[in-house]
Amino acid sequence: MTVMEYRNVLAEFQGEEGELIPILQRIQEKFGYITEDAIKNISPFLKISENQIYGVASFYSQFRFTEPGRNSIKVCMGTACHMRGGQILGEAVERELDVKPGQTTKDKRFDFHRVACLGCCALAPVIQVNEDIRSRMNVIKLKEMLDKYE
Amino acid sequence: MSKPSETITINIDNQFLQVGAGKTILQAAEQNHIYIPTLCAYKDLTPFGGCRMCIVEVDGLRGFPTACTTPVVEGMNIRTNTVQLQNIRSEILQLILSEHPCSCLICDEQEECKEFSGTIRKATVTTGCRYCPNDGQCELAEVAKKVGVKEINYPINYRYYRVEREDPFYDRDYNLCILCGRCIRMCQEIRAANALTFKQRGQKTVIGPAYNRTHIEAGCEFCGACVSICPTGALSEKTRKWEGKAEREEITTCALCGVGCQVHLQIKGRDIIGALPADDPLINNGQLCVKGRFCIPELINNHQRLKKPYRAHDGLKIELTFEQAIEEAAKKLAVCPPNEFGMIVSQNITNEDLYIAQKFTRAVMGSNNIDTMARIYYGAGLNNYVGLMKSSATLESLRKAATILCIGLDTRYGGSVVGVELRMANRKGAKIITINSHPHNLSIVAHTWLKPESGEEVGFIQSLARLIGKAKSKRPDAKSETKPHPSDNDIETAARILAESSSVIILIGSDVFKYLNSPKVLEEIGKLARSLQAEIMPLPAQNNFNGALLMGAYPELLPGGFSSARKDKQAQLGEIWGSQIPDWATSWNAEAVMTGKRMKILYLIGEVPLRERPASDFLIFQNLYPPESIYRTDLVLPSAAFTEIDGTFINGEGRLQRVRKAVEPPGFALPDWKILCLIAQKMGKKGFDFDSVDDVHKEISCQVNGFSSLDNIKRETVIMTLEPACLTGKSDFAIDPYQAPDSGKANMEFPYLLHTAISEHTYRGFPLASYVEGLKKLFIEATLEISPEDAKKAGLISGDEVIVTSAKFEKTWPARIMAEQTAGILHVTLPQGEVPGRNPYPVRIRKKNV
Ligand code: SF4
Ligand code: SF4
Ligand code: SF4
Ligand code: FES
Ligand code: FES
Repeated sequence: MTVMEYRNVLAEFQGEEGELIPILQRIQEKFGYITEDAIKNISPFLKISENQIYGVASFYSQFRFTEPGRNSIKVCMGTACHMRGGQILGEAVERELDVKPGQTTKDKRFDFHRVACLGCCALAPVIQVNEDIRSRMNVIKLKEMLDKYE
Repeated sequence: MSKPSETITINIDNQFLQVGAGKTILQAAEQNHIYIPTLCAYKDLTPFGGCRMCIVEVDGLRGFPTACTTPVVEGMNIRTNTVQLQNIRSEILQLILSEHPCSCLICDEQEECKEFSGTIRKATVTTGCRYCPNDGQCELAEVAKKVGVKEINYPINYRYYRVEREDPFYDRDYNLCILCGRCIRMCQEIRAANALTFKQRGQKTVIGPAYNRTHIEAGCEFCGACVSICPTGALSEKTRKWEGKAEREEITTCALCGVGCQVHLQIKGRDIIGALPADDPLINNGQLCVKGRFCIPELINNHQRLKKPYRAHDGLKIELTFEQAIEEAAKKLAVCPPNEFGMIVSQNITNEDLYIAQKFTRAVMGSNNIDTMARIYYGAGLNNYVGLMKSSATLESLRKAATILCIGLDTRYGGSVVGVELRMANRKGAKIITINSHPHNLSIVAHTWLKPESGEEVGFIQSLARLIGKAKSKRPDAKSETKPHPSDNDIETAARILAESSSVIILIGSDVFKYLNSPKVLEEIGKLARSLQAEIMPLPAQNNFNGALLMGAYPELLPGGFSSARKDKQAQLGEIWGSQIPDWATSWNAEAVMTGKRMKILYLIGEVPLRERPASDFLIFQNLYPPESIYRTDLVLPSAAFTEIDGTFINGEGRLQRVRKAVEPPGFALPDWKILCLIAQKMGKKGFDFDSVDDVHKEISCQVNGFSSLDNIKRETVIMTLEPACLTGKSDFAIDPYQAPDSGKANMEFPYLLHTAISEHTYRGFPLASYVEGLKKLFIEATLEISPEDAKKAGLISGDEVIVTSAKFEKTWPARIMAEQTAGILHVTLPQGEVPGRNPYPVRIRKKNV
C-alpha cells in the first residue's frame, strides 16, 4: 500500500473529525486491515493524533490491526468451552502454527483469534474456521483439520 | 437550560443552598464544603463519570446519578451520604481494589507498620510493604479511608502488567491504574499533546499510546501533567519515587528559559525534591515543560556542584578558604589595567547579579569589558533580535489573536507552556500557520504548514509577504510575475488568511537561528510584521536575556538600556555610584574570547565559552559545576543556583519576576553578587557594602523603571524599554586566528557544507543534558543530520559513526538520517564550548570503520 493509495481513500472524505470511523471502515474494506501507515496518514488529515486514532480503532472489535490470513481460526474461550479444554486447543494452535492470538502466521495461511462464546455451548469445545463451526474438538482432530486448509 | 449567571436553589443533605445554574451537583457541593468522594473527576477536566464514586440520590431521578456529570436544576433535592450510598460506594471501591494491589490500604498491621516499620530480618533495616511510590500521598487511599473500606470481598484479579520504565522521568505501573482517565483527559484537553488513549476495551482496557510505542515515540512532551493528577501510584516520578511528601513549598520563577513560568519548588529537609507548576494566570496556568517540571532537582542537587573555592593546576586541585580566594582575586584584580580585563556573564543569573557584575566591571575595574554569550549565540542576528525582543507581545495577546504565525517553532520540549496556549487558542478558533522545513509538534494543529526548502527561508518569507500584499490589494485573479513555488497553494492560502485576519501574532522559535541566513530572516520577519501590523513574540531559549540588556551587561549598554557612549548617562551613573565611569569605547567583547584574544584577567560568571581554557594570564571561573575536564583555572569560585537566592528575572515578555530562595546553597557557595561585592570591598572600593539583595534591587530602581523593592514587584506590567543602542554581532568567528578563514564554499576536496547550531537548552553555560540523565534521551545533540541521498553515497545508516574532516578539524559524530535535510548540507547541534567555529564549514565525511 502506498501513500498514494491512502490519499485516494482520504480524498473521498472532507477531513472532519466525525469521519474517523467511516474512514477506518473504508480502509479496512480496501486493505483488509488497519495498517500503521494508514493511521499515520489519517492523523494529519483529521488532525487527530495517531494515539487517539488507535484508541478509537482498538475499541471496536470490527477493526483489525494485523493482515488477515487466507483462513481464519477462532478458538472459543467462553465458559463452556473453557471448562472442556478451550485453553488447550488455543495453545495447540499456537504451537502448531507458531502464531500468537491476534496474529497471522508468517506464510499468511491462518490468522488466529480467541473469542468469547460462539453460541453453541452444547457442542463445546468449539472452533470456527472461516465460516465452518467445528464442534467437540480435540487436539488430534485439530491437527488433521488444519492440514485441510491451504 | 438556564443561563449560567442565574442562581438557583437546591437542597443538599437538608441544607438549602444558592448555587449558580449550569453547575454540576459535585461543583455545587464542593463550593459549599460538602464532601462527595470522587476518583475520576478533576477540576479543570470535562466530567467523565467513570468511577461512580460520586453517586448521589436525587428525588425524581431513578437510580444513582453521578454528581460529577449531573447538572443542578431548580429545587433539586439531593442526598450525598445515605447508608445505602455508602454501601454501594464501598462495593464499587472494593471492585476497583480487587484489581489494584493495595496492602497499604487494608493491612491489619497498617497503623503499627507506619509507626514502627517492623523488620523481618536480623538487620537494622526497616521494612514494611511499599509496593507503591505514592505512599502517604495517595488520593485512592484517602477515598478508601473516607468511604471506609477495610477489606475486599471480591476475588482478587491483579493484572500482572510489566512496569514500563523505558521512558525518561516517570515510570508507569498500570497494575495500579484504576482507569479513571484523568491522565488521558489532561493530555488531550489541557496539554493537547494527545499522547495517551484508552486502548482495547472491557477487561483488557489499558492506557498508553498507539500500539506499544514508547512515550518518546508517541509525541509525549514529558510535561508531567498526567503524573501530577494521577490519583494512584500508577504514574510516578523516577527521581522522587521514595522521597515521600514534601515538607514545604516555595514559589519562584523557573530559570531554564525565557518564558519564566512560576513553579512551586517542593522541599524536604535541605533539599529540593521536585517542582510543580503554579496556577499562574499570567503565564503558565498550572503547566510546565519538561525542564521546569523534572530537571530542577537534578540540576541543583547534582553531586558535581562546586562547594569550595579552589585553584586547579595540571589536574591538581588546591582547595582554598573563601577568605583566601577573595584575597587572591582582589590582589590580582587590583593590578589589572582596565583594557586588559574582561568579564563574561551568563544571561541566566538574576538582574541583581548582572547589575553588580557590570558595576564591578565599570566602577572597580574602570572598564566596559563585560559581555554575555548572546553575541555568539545570536551572531549577526543579535541586533535584529534585540529589536524584536524589546517590543515582544505578551501571552495575553497570544490568547486573543485571530491568526498565529509560528516560524521555526517546535514547542515539544522548549517553551511547551506556550504550545499549550497555542493549542488552546486554536480550539477557541484562532488559526495557526507554521513555517518550518522540519516536522514539528504544532503541525497537527496547524491550519497550514508551510515548508520552505531548508536554506530558502529568506526568499520564502519574501514571497509570502508579496502574496499577502497582493491579497490585501484584492486582486486575487492577477497573474503573478514570480515563478510558481512548489507549494504555491498552501502559501497562497496562508497569505490570504494572514491578509484577512483582524489580528496576527508572529511567534519566533529558536530554529530560526539554525537557518542559513538568520539575521536576514529576522529582518524579513520584522518587515512582514510591520506590513501586517502584527505583534511579534520571540521566544528566547535563554532566561533573562532581557535582564542582561536592561542591567547593562554589554560593553555598549548601561543600566536602563542606555548607550554607554552617552556622556550624560555616564555622568549620572558616576554620581550615583560615586566613582569614575569609563568613557572609552572598547573593541573587546565575547567574540574576542572566541578568537583567542589574550587578556590579563578573564572573569567568567556562569559561562563556559570554550572547551579549552580561554586565553588569559589569570582565569576566574565562577559557576555551579567545575569547568569541563578541570582545565587549568587559576581560581574557581562556587556560585549559588537560582533556587538558593533571592532576586529577580525579566522574562521574554518583559515582565519583572521574583526569584525566591528555597534552600541553602551547598558548602560555601554564595550568590554571584555577594562574591563580587566581597572582592570589591577587599579592594577597598566603596559602593559595594550591600546588606541584602533587596538593597541592590533598590539601587537598581534609581536607574531602571519598574524596579522598586523586592517585596513590591508588579508582575502584571511589562517593564521592558530599551534605547535603540546598537550591539555588534558578527555571524562568524574563527577559533584559530592564525589560519586563513575557510572559503565557506564546498569544493572538490570538501564536497559537503557543515552547519553547526549551539544547543539551546542550557543553564549557566552548561548543557542541561549533561547534568540531567533523562534529557539525554530527549535532546539529541551532537549527532550529524544528513540527507538520505548523502547517507547512501557514504554508505551510512542512522547510528553509524561518521568522521567529519575540514581543513582545520576532524570530529566524529553519530549519523542521523533526516528526510528533510537538504542534500549536500550537514547539520549538527553542539554545546557552546564545542562549536568549531565559522559557519558553514566545507567538509568531507567518511564512515568510521570499527
Ligand atoms: S507527560 Fe504530558 S504530554 Fe506526556 S503523556 Fe503526560 S500529560 Fe501527556
Ligand atoms: S494512570 Fe492514573 S490517571 Fe491515568 S487512568 Fe490510570 S489511575 Fe487514572
Ligand atoms: S517553559 Fe521555560 S520557564 Fe516554563 S518551565 Fe519550561 S523552562 Fe521553565
Ligand atoms: S462457550 Fe464456547 S460456544 Fe459458548
Ligand atoms: S467522580 Fe464522578 S464518576 Fe468518577
